[in-house]
Amino acid sequence: MNRLLLLLTVMFGTVLTVGLWIPFKALVAQELLELAWAESQARQIETRPWPWADTWPVARLSLPELGQSMIVLDGAHGESLAFGPGQVLGNAAGPGPVVIAGHRDTHFTSLRHLEAGSELKLQTRSGKWYRYRVNSIRVVDSRYEQIDTARLDDHTLLLVTCYPFDSLDSRGPLRYVVQATFEPVSVAAAGSDPLQIDTVAGL
Amino acid sequence: MMLPTTLLRLELDKPRLAPRRVKRCCEGVSLWLAMLLLLFVHPLYAEAASAAEGTGMLEFVDADGRHQGQATLLNTEYQVRVSGLIADTRLTQSFRNTSQQWREGVFVFPLPEKASVYGMTMRVGEREIVGDVREKQEAKRRYEAAKKAGKNAARVDQQRPNLFTTHLANIPPGETITVELNYQQTVRYQSGEFELRLPTTLTPRYMPGEPLAQSPQQWQGGWARPTTAVPDADAISPFTVQAEDVGDQSHRAVVNLEIDAGLPVADVASPSHALRSTWDGHRVRVAPEQGAVPMDQDVVVRWSPVRGQAPSAAVFHERWQGEDYLLALLVPGLSRNQNLPRELVFVIDTSGSMAGQSIGQARASLLRGLATLSPGDRFNIIQFNSQTHALFMQAVPANGQNLARARRYVEGLSANGGTEMAPALRVALGENSPEEETTGQHVRQVVFITDGAVGNEAALFEQIRQQLGGRRLFTVGIGSAPNLHFMREAARYGRGSYTAISDIADVAGQLDDLFAKMQAPVLTDIAIELPPAAGPAEAYPIRPGDLFAGEPLVQVMRGVKSSGSLGISGRLSDGSRWQTSLDLSRAASGTGLHRHWGREKIDSLMDQTLSGHVGDESRQQVVELALAHQLITRFTSFVAVDSTPVRETSEPLTTDQVPTLLPAGSSSTMLRYPQTATLSPLLTALGLLGLIFSAAGWMLQRRVSR
Repeated sequence: MNRLLLLLTVMFGTVLTVGLWIPFKALVAQELLELAWAESQARQIETRPWPWADTWPVARLSLPELGQSMIVLDGAHGESLAFGPGQVLGNAAGPGPVVIAGHRDTHFTSLRHLEAGSELKLQTRSGKWYRYRVNSIRVVDSRYEQIDTARLDDHTLLLVTCYPFDSLDSRGPLRYVVQATFEPVSVAAAGSDPLQIDTVAGL
Repeated sequence: MMLPTTLLRLELDKPRLAPRRVKRCCEGVSLWLAMLLLLFVHPLYAEAASAAEGTGMLEFVDADGRHQGQATLLNTEYQVRVSGLIADTRLTQSFRNTSQQWREGVFVFPLPEKASVYGMTMRVGEREIVGDVREKQEAKRRYEAAKKAGKNAARVDQQRPNLFTTHLANIPPGETITVELNYQQTVRYQSGEFELRLPTTLTPRYMPGEPLAQSPQQWQGGWARPTTAVPDADAISPFTVQAEDVGDQSHRAVVNLEIDAGLPVADVASPSHALRSTWDGHRVRVAPEQGAVPMDQDVVVRWSPVRGQAPSAAVFHERWQGEDYLLALLVPGLSRNQNLPRELVFVIDTSGSMAGQSIGQARASLLRGLATLSPGDRFNIIQFNSQTHALFMQAVPANGQNLARARRYVEGLSANGGTEMAPALRVALGENSPEEETTGQHVRQVVFITDGAVGNEAALFEQIRQQLGGRRLFTVGIGSAPNLHFMREAARYGRGSYTAISDIADVAGQLDDLFAKMQAPVLTDIAIELPPAAGPAEAYPIRPGDLFAGEPLVQVMRGVKSSGSLGISGRLSDGSRWQTSLDLSRAASGTGLHRHWGREKIDSLMDQTLSGHVGDESRQQVVELALAHQLITRFTSFVAVDSTPVRETSEPLTTDQVPTLLPAGSSSTMLRYPQTATLSPLLTALGLLGLIFSAAGWMLQRRVSR
């Protein structure tokens, strides 16, 4: 009996550790990614955060209203999403729409606090910040809807995460889609942007 | 199980010592908390489960958001018999229901651009139900009634001349029902080579126009919503899936060809698949080497006669229901060497549907085209996706500097965005209109390089017809599954010719042929003189287009006996008359000529309806022809209904939209939403819950052992 109980305790303890390990990893990886991002900005090349990584930082996404900032990785496969939001489509520096996906229980958990009119910022490898404004938030069923990239406007930024936020089902079909549009900023305004200076100093 | 007894003992233990009582209380409280947590977590699970099951489409997509193992598996088989110029195909589509519920299968599929579907049979187990042609609305009514009554029923509709839909109702759980279609087409013969194409999938089409306001916002039959320019967008936009998503149980095509060309065949080849051919006299049996091929690209088969035996004329005769039908083919065998200076406008499609290998093929085609320009020529390049962009303001001389700039431009082309063809055509066809005089010496041609993945073909044909002026339009089909109906008809309205590239290695051969042809038509103003006949004779096409080098003239006639001779005359490129006569008395017997004639007549009737509305009179004529020859048209469908119901009407029926495969080598513009949740909350909750229970167990254990 004692032994059985011990086994159960150890088993559930492991399950709990694994469950907590995922957000812990997501948190720690972002710190490592900061270094890789700084290097890729300095050298203007794709820098892998660790030698065996199959992804690299491509942009920095900042949600100024929530005081959050994170490094966006290339691709949205399970491997990259574990460490940071992944850029599914597009190139933050180039023309065309950008689609970024992230886990609802780690990096993108704060998406629920965004609302229409919220500000988003995206920094490219060149160090330039692009300002976006959220214009719509909707929930889609991924079984019946896909992203038609041909129809997306060039100035669009889509943030995608799973929905509902508190669900335990990790394979649910619903997705929470935040759509934002690029907002050109005048040079003067950009120059006095406290966030920009702050981030550069932070690097 | 243990909880109630524990609690009971807790009650009994009340009068004991204070410290122990506190401990007991803690134990009881923690157990209650565990209970509450369990009750709290359970509805979350229940909610998640019901959300997934409510739609009844659970099998359609697996946990990672990939389409996989949909409930209805679809496989096809093509049995093609080529005799002379007519290819007769028996296409068997088998729908296998792997689910536990009754299913209706809906499958959108392509057929060759000039296919006449003349037969449909539904096979349920041992039984065969032969379908017949009805007016579209009536066919739909009959089908819906049978579906409701629980009977097996099948219906095949035409959405576009090369795009059809099969509806199959009441497939029993675990059973297979097959729908067999018979269609025929003419084999393309040019430059001494025969070509047959079996399309197996379609490139997702772009739907121009604004979404219709009243259209429902949720998903219908396809991924596209009806728009002002394409009101039936949802009917022609089946979901596409990757070949690896459906596994090897579905979307496989078995292809068998039996070629009886009536002359010795020297060579059978395919740019799309590796073939295995066995010769049996004049007959050749052809099948792809790998057996069942994935339905993700057109199966192209080309064969050529033994050198020196390429036919220059052929006549086939058939007597059907007391009428004589004749099919005549003549290759004028003319060529020309004179080179006129040309003004060549290349229009290249850089829309999202061209992404992947297609854009590479298109770039290669364009570079090939640039290489054919000679110093006296003028040229321009126009690319279009959502926007149209021309390289030069107007056509410029083909000098080294301009060509170098053009090559750089072509190298930089990438595929992205929509397929707004109309503005590009307007620019290409309207180019230089005011200064007609300065380019008067030039032959003006437009080369249109595209996959034709648009939903509003008819409007574009009408635009070409109106704006063409003195130009000629040539189309080059790109990709694994180009819309050949578009290529063919656009070239016909553009008084030009068309070709299709299947593979990057195929570019050189096909395009050199086309560009050689394009120098100029060898025969224009063609007139056909039918032999004197007893009754009224009808020949189609009524006005044969101009012939280019290597192209045959094909006429199908009704009411002409196989005697006398057919007079053909035309104007050569130097302006002189040319004429020849074709002896009809040596006609070989052919089959299915009446259907070909019927289809040609229907096409010529439908030509008048391009601008939109179909008159009641021509509609009536089309329906009569279709019923007489048993053909599917825009207004008629095949329907087959079994006599006895098989499904209890109380049992539910679910509709399964069978997806098509994404054409090989193309990258989809439709992006799937990635999987964006981790197991973390579930594991954390599970771990916590388990630990609470273990803790409770420990406490209990201590009490019991004491």
